[in-house]
Amino acid sequence: MPYDCELEDELKALDGVDYVGTEHHYCIESSKNFTYKGSKMDNFIDIAYTISDEEMYLKFYDEENNTVDGVEKGCFYSNAAFIQDIDVSKGDIFELSFDDNKLSLKYMGVIKCPTIAHEATASPYLLFDAEDIKFIGEHKKNDIFDDKDVFVNAADTEKIDKLVEKYENAYVMPRDEIKEYFLFDMVAAYIMMMISAVLMVTVFVVLRFTIMFTISEEYREIGVMKAVGVDNGSIRSLYIAKYLVISIVGALIGYAASLPLGSMMLDSVSQNMVLECGSNALIGLLSSAAVVALIMLFCYTCTRRVNKLSPIDAVRNGETGERFKRKSLLRLGSSRLPSNVFMSINDFVSAPKQFGIITVIFTLCLLMMTLMSNLALTLKSENMAWLFGAAECDAHIYDTTYFVDAFVDYDNYKDILAKTDIMLEDIGIEGESGMTMGFRYEVDHGDKTANEFCYVSKGLKNDLVTADEGTMPQKRDEVAMTGYALDDLDAEIGDRVSITIGDKTDEYIITGKYSSFLNGGHGIFMHPDVDLVENNNFQSMGVNIKFDGDPDDETKDEYIEKIKKAIDSEKVCTTSELVKTATQMSDTLNSVKQMMMMITVIVTLMIVILMERSFISKEKGEIALMKAVGIPNSSIIAQHTLRFVISAVLALIISTAVLMPASNAVMNFVSSMIGDVTGIKCNYDPLEVFFICPMILVGVTVIGSWLTALYTKTIKASDTASIE
Amino acid sequence: MNTVLQAKGLCKTYVVNKRQNNVLKNIDLTVSEGDMVAVMGPSGSGKSTLLYCVSGMDRVTAGEVIFNGKETASLNDKELARVRLDEMGFIFQQMYMMKNLSVLDNIIFPAVKSKNNKETRAQTEERGRALMKRLGIEDVGSNDINEVSGGQLQRACICRSMINSPKIIFADEPTGALNRSSSDEVMNELLKLNNDGTTVMCVTHDPKVAAKCSRVLYLVDGSIVGEKVLGHFDSEEKSLRDRERELNGWLMEQGW
Repeated sequence: MPYDCELEDELKALDGVDYVGTEHHYCIESSKNFTYKGSKMDNFIDIAYTISDEEMYLKFYDEENNTVDGVEKGCFYSNAAFIQDIDVSKGDIFELSFDDNKLSLKYMGVIKCPTIAHEATASPYLLFDAEDIKFIGEHKKNDIFDDKDVFVNAADTEKIDKLVEKYENAYVMPRDEIKEYFLFDMVAAYIMMMISAVLMVTVFVVLRFTIMFTISEEYREIGVMKAVGVDNGSIRSLYIAKYLVISIVGALIGYAASLPLGSMMLDSVSQNMVLECGSNALIGLLSSAAVVALIMLFCYTCTRRVNKLSPIDAVRNGETGERFKRKSLLRLGSSRLPSNVFMSINDFVSAPKQFGIITVIFTLCLLMMTLMSNLALTLKSENMAWLFGAAECDAHIYDTTYFVDAFVDYDNYKDILAKTDIMLEDIGIEGESGMTMGFRYEVDHGDKTANEFCYVSKGLKNDLVTADEGTMPQKRDEVAMTGYALDDLDAEIGDRVSITIGDKTDEYIITGKYSSFLNGGHGIFMHPDVDLVENNNFQSMGVNIKFDGDPDDETKDEYIEKIKKAIDSEKVCTTSELVKTATQMSDTLNSVKQMMMMITVIVTLMIVILMERSFISKEKGEIALMKAVGIPNSSIIAQHTLRFVISAVLALIISTAVLMPASNAVMNFVSSMIGDVTGIKCNYDPLEVFFICPMILVGVTVIGSWLTALYTKTIKASDTASIE
Repeated sequence: MNTVLQAKGLCKTYVVNKRQNNVLKNIDLTVSEGDMVAVMGPSGSGKSTLLYCVSGMDRVTAGEVIFNGKETASLNDKELARVRLDEMGFIFQQMYMMKNLSVLDNIIFPAVKSKNNKETRAQTEERGRALMKRLGIEDVGSNDINEVSGGQLQRACICRSMINSPKIIFADEPTGALNRSSSDEVMNELLKLNNDGTTVMCVTHDPKVAAKCSRVLYLVDGSIVGEKVLGHFDSEEKSLRDRERELNGWLMEQGW
């Protein structure tokens, strides 16, 4: 093995260290080293790494969450990053080739392990049999990207920190920080939880109303029972028992349905991580019991009024002595509104609590749809490029083989940019190119030392990297740092830090603080005049190209196709596509958005139908009276429909007002979990968030309430005779 | 006198649990302009059903109802609703009103909904106030309906029934939920309306109320078994007592 074992030896010699294990990673430079179904692969950006089944020091799990103990010769497992965007089945054959040396491999499925989890810059990891690893080691081109993870069990991590500081290209990650690998998956899970919470609130509100209205429907019977001497406790226990049976049956059905549904939802967010599923059944049972308890609480509070009612009040359908209890707020005589509109608005303001809750639910549903739309759009927008160290420009070459030389020898970046400019000229495109590169260096501030990634942009001027506080470096001895990097060094703007680049240590003044997703938000941005020195820890999003003359999208696509042909690689894309590839969340959020649209339609219909049905039942007397005095069905239906439309329109106005502040807050919250990021302004699609989504809500409301309001036709004018 | 309302061979049958219940049987009835007709009879005799059938609030099973020259069976629900809105007024035993509207708004609501009404909202409101003043409830216009007495509310219902200047007012036990004093006030108002030319058809159990009407129909088991013509009431106390005595005697003969 070509690895130096000095670090492991020193670690083993430390007091309190009881275990040291090394997982070596060979690099496979490009996706093009793999052939699948006769074509070279081009689905992943980064370098792929290998793991030998003899060095599995962490637990690896397969798709069914079973432990993987070893790999047969000629077979391999991969993480999700390797198979992204391609349709692969277990048993499929891949070919790994290094020039003329080829190895046929059978795909065994996805493996999950914290250190190879899917995140913004996750590389493909492949688990091989030790014999196959030897083949790779013998035939691969270079070892510049080879690395290793050393797993240490120790009581005192400070000693390890001090030891590792000596090694330029090594850094320590405590066990707790490993969970950060799952941030993107966690974000998807959090969003799923948020949606579930909103749904639960909505369902409980509807449930409470349903119970309340059902009981108020039966006040007459309650009155009769009270009149014949049945005590309050017995009457309430009748209803509580009835709802107990209904809720237990409902909870059991819900529990049974939750098992496959829960697994489906868990699967959607646990592609890369193993979630504890053993206690799901118990949690499901406890949740079902909690739902029953909550329904009982609703029932208890809803039946409390039985105590307050005299028998005759109850017979009068719950009216307490006074014939009516609501107050008129608007005046028909002084209003210029059409009578149906007036009546609807008057009903709305006369029952603010009921219609207010409906409005809040509509607002939440609409906000969930539009928020998802904004987040999905932002996570693939060009505005996010700078957070990944890529300039907002027209095209990006992210094929590692194209720019790998810059990491073998830093000065090669000049050749890479030069060959790019020549290539552009050759294919008749006017433009310029640039690269943002980062290497990890030792940075000192006072008694604090940290190994931080230091980035420099060459070629194109990266104007988009702006400082959240202070300014970006204007002179050679100035740097801007992320908040996390400042924390690592216990430094602040205005302080001086020493950065050791190669053999040379220079002092730099911190002039600003900026945001970044790269390297978990730990980073330093240097002046373009600074020259870096290559080492084994590097980062780059590739070569950025800006076309001259501000061409339209069609021309840009045409140019990108030309570049693909010129460099013989499919890995050329727009900034938006690059961000989408980097975050990998945009598609997930788009799916969530579509799910939210469906949920919104269902929830809105459910609310509208249940509530309108309850209103009709409660207002049967008024409807009959209106019919008796000659108000046509169409007017009554219009009035009932309009009340819900007013709620929907109000929800639309509220959600429009809060959408952008809420989107920015959520986006910044989500981003702060991934990296050190503040001040993101969300993108939005005006057509979608201000027209399509609201129209879905209003359309469903109109259709749902109109269809339900048709039920008023069954109430006859002569029903006035049977109304108490 | 012109005929406002005519029923010929009117039958109404309800089917409950596959059993036929003939509530009204072959009723012939004519109400002329300016009449004040009381419909009396024991409970379950079909009084209210007769009122609902002739007023178009319910469909008849057989026979004809001709209102103001129009056969109501030939009208669809929308046309029938329009007839009820523009040409009929209704008063019920319970003072049904819309709880989200003030007393005055409840009164003017049918006028606001009427397509025949070409007035501005302010003019309609003014007319509503004038009606309230006429019935002595002008002070409660802006009140909620839970802030006024039963008598005031029933007078407000009369105002509402009058707002579109109907040809006939149907009253289903209009004093049934009121005390004697309020009952007298309400009946006096109906009498005034009748004296001004509005036709009134009123279902009642109260001979004192019926005694103020010009004609009394007596229903038993869905058939009109008798009719007493009392003539128009001139509102003098002596005459009322005579009419009551005369009516009570007749009712006794009918089996009251």
